[in-house]
Amino acid sequence: MNKLHASGTGTLTDRYVAEVVRRIPADQRGDVADELHATIADTVEARGPADPETVEREVLTEMGDPIRLAARYADRPLALIGPDLYPTYVRILTVLLATVLPVVTALGAALDILDGQGVGEVIGGAVEAVLTVGAQMIAWLTVVFALIERSGKRPGAAGRTWTPDDLPDRSAPKERSAAVYARVVWHALLIALIVWQHTAQPYQTDDGTRLDVLDPGLWSGWIWPVLAGLVGLVTLDAIRAVRVWTRTLAAWSIAAEAAFALPLVWILHRQELFNPAFLSDANGGWQAPQSLYTVAAVGVLAVSTHEVVKRFREARD
Amino acid sequence: MGTDELILSQAQELRRGTVVLACLALLEEPQYGYALLETLGDAGIAVDGNTLYPLLRRLEKQGLLISEWNTDESRPRKFYRVSPEGARVRTGLLREWQELGASISRLTKGDR
Repeated sequence: MNKLHASGTGTLTDRYVAEVVRRIPADQRGDVADELHATIADTVEARGPADPETVEREVLTEMGDPIRLAARYADRPLALIGPDLYPTYVRILTVLLATVLPVVTALGAALDILDGQGVGEVIGGAVEAVLTVGAQMIAWLTVVFALIERSGKRPGAAGRTWTPDDLPDRSAPKERSAAVYARVVWHALLIALIVWQHTAQPYQTDDGTRLDVLDPGLWSGWIWPVLAGLVGLVTLDAIRAVRVWTRTLAAWSIAAEAAFALPLVWILHRQELFNPAFLSDANGGWQAPQSLYTVAAVGVLAVSTHEVVKRFREARD
Repeated sequence: MGTDELILSQAQELRRGTVVLACLALLEEPQYGYALLETLGDAGIAVDGNTLYPLLRRLEKQGLLISEWNTDESRPRKFYRVSPEGARVRTGLLREWQELGASISRLTKGDR
């Protein structure tokens, strides 16, 4: 119906109408444009014949921002993420930033350490990871939610009604979280120490040779399940400190604990933990008795079993 | 915020829902956008054009209004009028409005 365009209202109105209708669905454009033209012309006319250009400006100013008017015509929200989706958006963002981001950062740092990078580089890399990965998480989550908002379809999760059961547990996690955080730090420190003693070779003999403290032969064998187990424990404990601890997660932690403890016990049993060159230099002629290794192996088993039992007791179905 | 301003902003909230009812009442006779805006304004229902015109289209989409282009005059205009469904909705809204009015006057009997 474009032939119906009112003439004589000037190009300002044409430009305004074009700005509005290009933001609404194509099948309504012609009709809305015609109606807007007529309505604006009616309004200008009603305000008297004096100085039509000023009046036209005035009328368009009152109609307001074309984006806003187009949103009203298209019945589209003027918010990126509306009130319906906002609570879910904030909850997911919090979980991502509080649990996934630290884990990703820690894994990145662990890989940097494995690559033999210095402390400064590892810290720099971690800071960069927090900024870039964090920004990506925020950006993509926002994009997804903005698209859901505009699609007009609400998936079940977003529409799930809130119940008091969703309230975060305030007392119980707080009590256990200090101990759990300590375990996260302790296991992360173990990873760092194992990698550091291999890459930096901090021990120096009298003649200036630098040595691994642990047996270098482990790096072509048993050290890998130990490290993998430790990384798994750090990750799972990080989740345990901030989120609800479930039986599934507890089962995963058995696998991680086993990957860490069983090879370590085997290494201790075979007395292959320390670098023989380091031992002979550090201990002189003294040799540690087998019993010492046995006690250490039993100790590792006992602590790990205790941890597994504790994790399962904490787990909710 | 002064008392007058508070009354003004709260009154705006009260009026918001009444525009639909007023449109459904007035459009028993076919009317085009600008004329309807004027009639509403004269009747004391203040509404901005950039709210009313999209609202008319929305009511049409919901099946409460019917529209028709009138090309008899020099300027073609889109005329809206109430559909049978719109008339039924108006009756329902009117009952709601009267009940609300009755409730509020019962509640505020002492204030007058």
